[in-house]
Amino acid sequence: MKITPIIGLEVHVELKTKSKMFCGCRADHFHVKPNTHTCPVCLGLPGALPVPNKKACEWCLKLGLALNCSINEQSFFERKNYFYPDLVKGYQITQFQKPFAINGYLNIEGHKIRINRAHMEEDTGKSIHVDGSTLLDFNRSGVPLVEIVSEPDIQSAEQAKKYLNKLQQIIRYIGISDADIEKGSMRCEPTVNVCLDDKFYTPLVEIKNVASLTGVMNAINYEIKRQIDAYQSDGITKNSSNKTTRGWDADKNQTFLQREKEGSADYRYFPEPDIPPIIFNKEQIEEIRQSLPVLPDEKIAQYKLLGLSDYDAFILADTKESAEIFDKIISIESSREFAKFSANLLTGPLKTIKIDINKINPDYFKKLFDHKLDFSSTVIKQLILDSYQTGLDPLEIAKEKNLFQVSDTNTLEQFAKEVIEANPKAVEDYHQNPLAIGFLVGQLMKVSKGSANPQTGKEILEKLLK
Amino acid sequence: MTDLNKLTLSEARKGLKSKKFTPTDLVQSCLDRIKSFDKKLNAFVTLCDEEALKQAKTADISLPLGGIPIAIKDNYLTKGIRTTASSLVLDEYIAQYDATAMKKLKNAGAIIIGKTNLDAWAHGSSTETSDYGPTLNPWNTDHLPGGSSGGSAAAMAADEAIVSVGSETAGSIRQPAAWCGVVGFKPTYGRVSRYGIIAMKSSTDSPGPLCKTVDDAATLLEIMSGHDPYDATSIEEDSWKKPEIRQNLNGLKIGLPLSYFPSQIQPEVKKSILEAAETLKKLGAQILELPDVLDPKYSIAVYTILQRSEVSSNLARFDGIRYGHDRSFFGTEAKRRIMLGTYSLSAGYYDAYYLKAQKVRTLICQDFDKQFQKVDAIIGPVSPTTALKLGATKGQAMFGELQDMLVEPSSIAGLPGISIPCGFDKTALPIGFQIMAPQKREDLVYQIAKIFEDNTDYHTKRPKL
Repeated sequence: MKITPIIGLEVHVELKTKSKMFCGCRADHFHVKPNTHTCPVCLGLPGALPVPNKKACEWCLKLGLALNCSINEQSFFERKNYFYPDLVKGYQITQFQKPFAINGYLNIEGHKIRINRAHMEEDTGKSIHVDGSTLLDFNRSGVPLVEIVSEPDIQSAEQAKKYLNKLQQIIRYIGISDADIEKGSMRCEPTVNVCLDDKFYTPLVEIKNVASLTGVMNAINYEIKRQIDAYQSDGITKNSSNKTTRGWDADKNQTFLQREKEGSADYRYFPEPDIPPIIFNKEQIEEIRQSLPVLPDEKIAQYKLLGLSDYDAFILADTKESAEIFDKIISIESSREFAKFSANLLTGPLKTIKIDINKINPDYFKKLFDHKLDFSSTVIKQLILDSYQTGLDPLEIAKEKNLFQVSDTNTLEQFAKEVIEANPKAVEDYHQNPLAIGFLVGQLMKVSKGSANPQTGKEILEKLLK
Repeated sequence: MTDLNKLTLSEARKGLKSKKFTPTDLVQSCLDRIKSFDKKLNAFVTLCDEEALKQAKTADISLPLGGIPIAIKDNYLTKGIRTTASSLVLDEYIAQYDATAMKKLKNAGAIIIGKTNLDAWAHGSSTETSDYGPTLNPWNTDHLPGGSSGGSAAAMAADEAIVSVGSETAGSIRQPAAWCGVVGFKPTYGRVSRYGIIAMKSSTDSPGPLCKTVDDAATLLEIMSGHDPYDATSIEEDSWKKPEIRQNLNGLKIGLPLSYFPSQIQPEVKKSILEAAETLKKLGAQILELPDVLDPKYSIAVYTILQRSEVSSNLARFDGIRYGHDRSFFGTEAKRRIMLGTYSLSAGYYDAYYLKAQKVRTLICQDFDKQFQKVDAIIGPVSPTTALKLGATKGQAMFGELQDMLVEPSSIAGLPGISIPCGFDKTALPIGFQIMAPQKREDLVYQIAKIFEDNTDYHTKRPKL
């Protein structure tokens, strides 16, 4: 039997604007004392009116452009009417007929995942269930959310994960959200069904409460298998009224039925009369497009052109911060050799520590590059690390610690004689087996505190031991 | 120093400034009046007597409304004061903040004397659907005051306060003003902020003044108006300012739409309006009959669909969790509107009702644009009849819409308008006529109303209580 999973993702991203979507309250709500970031507007008090946050709208547009979307020059907000205790107005202000951004796509390893829309809306409050009662916290009520809806073009859990990773990367690149799934600033709801033998489609299932990337993958995989099993036992296929909603239980590693007949939900959308249509003219859209940073895919391509390995290019372009650090360094010298040299340092010794771009001094990279023949690679790694941590010139450090490679034969002979004297056993071994010279070279490096030019040292040792 | 309560705003200001009387005298006089007559009239839902007297003692009479007692329609949020919208759902609701218009009035020194009655949630044109009982018309207590700002209109007619404010969505200022023989000034949509006014039909809600004279109403509008960053539909202009008073109406073209005189119109109403037109003509205006104004009956359907739809959503927040009383406290009228609105927004019906209504709304706006190419302003009756009797709404689900037919088109188009007294019928019930102008042309409305008022004495008549 041929099995083709059909997966679409609905992703909600909380924008990190200073204020909420429709009022001046602070938008941050993670670990904040409940109901302290509220006002008449986000509490939905009688008479209160929403005034859209311009920055949030621009950021939504920005994301739309980054996802290759077309922008609706005229769009408007609508009311989505439904009851829930943490929905203060009895409706959510969202976009329906005319979202800011439509018809985009993301390339995932050569596979095009179409994006239906990226629209602006407001978050709801939070219900906290404690000991049989429910507490309501409205700090989150009215926080700006962008909803990104993909077409059902994703064909595996692995691909879903890659799509989410990429989305996350782009969102962080343009700096509009932390996009942290664990903290809830990025939430994901997969819709899954399966096509069997290119003919039969299992009923659609929307999965809720997935709280991690692994959860997304596990839930999708579980659901694919469950749907195939279900089809094989009951033969039921998709129709317009049998879409269901299932929750993800991460402990039991399985989905469970939450709601049936999703098709009958009627949100009675209508244009929000409290907010006039939002108009972005061509110049404004172009201005926002210009404000976009170079995005990860383009960055990787740029780095490869500089001669970086796939690995280095990928690692350096991974975050906007790391790319900026690299770009800052290579701004001082444009040669491919310098780029490769610097990339190696960043993805090597400097990878293990958290780098502050302000503490990066491109001059120091350049100095080391210019003197790279004077040091062993080990010393270069040590020098860049020390220089970063102390802020001192690496050549000064080298001078002070006497780390310049010694190629001077007299000095090296002194070291070599010391090594030969101290290691009679190794010398004996060498006479049995010339390959054992390695150990003696190592000792020589040690004695010289790493400053010896290993090649010259080796030659001198060989000469002395003849 | 009797009857201070009967003063107009400008008279009261003069008296206060020349120290003929104090703000306390003025407030006390209004409170006495309320205590004598309001048990019967029921214009007030909540009285703020103690607080008003306290404020009177420290009133700063140099402010434009310093020491002036004002009656506030009970759908304006008033911080620390119960705000019910005349619905038992909000029977115990104390407002947490002031409406923007309220704040402006307070900053101008006004003293809230009480909150006035309205049709519950402003759903109606009679004030008979209030959960706190109907307000009676001071001219004849067997009759209705009109609505929904019936409490404010009655309070003005009965001299229970010096000035008052209401709100209009489609007639709710002009119609009760006409039925109670006072002045009701409905500004352009967006001229006065809606922030803090309990939403009814958000796309046409327009707060505005109900007063004893045109000038008083204009003074209040100056204070209440101006851009509000808390209302995204608010006009981005500073406060409206009264224009120069005209000595005559020379060069002004005023339209008389024939379709505003339907067959069921009360003959005395028609006669008074034509006489008002004659007066304006004598003052120099050119009166033009407008034969092709869209029949206002189409507005009834448009308004009904859009209003019900928005209401069904606007009232959703009163979900029984936050405001004390649950949804079973909604009255029949609100329930009926919520159900109809829910239906008209439902999937499969949206296009046929809501969307169609929006399209007709556009046609109505275009029709006004067309007419205003021919004339500067349009006049007509406010209501086809004078005040109807108590109980007239019983079994009349569409009562308000039919009563408001002649004010609905201009409300739907967001136009400014005023209702001013222009006569009485044979039972001595007042008649009002309206002046409508293009958006943001309150100046024209004011100039025509003011010169009419200066040349007539209908506005000086008061009922005997």
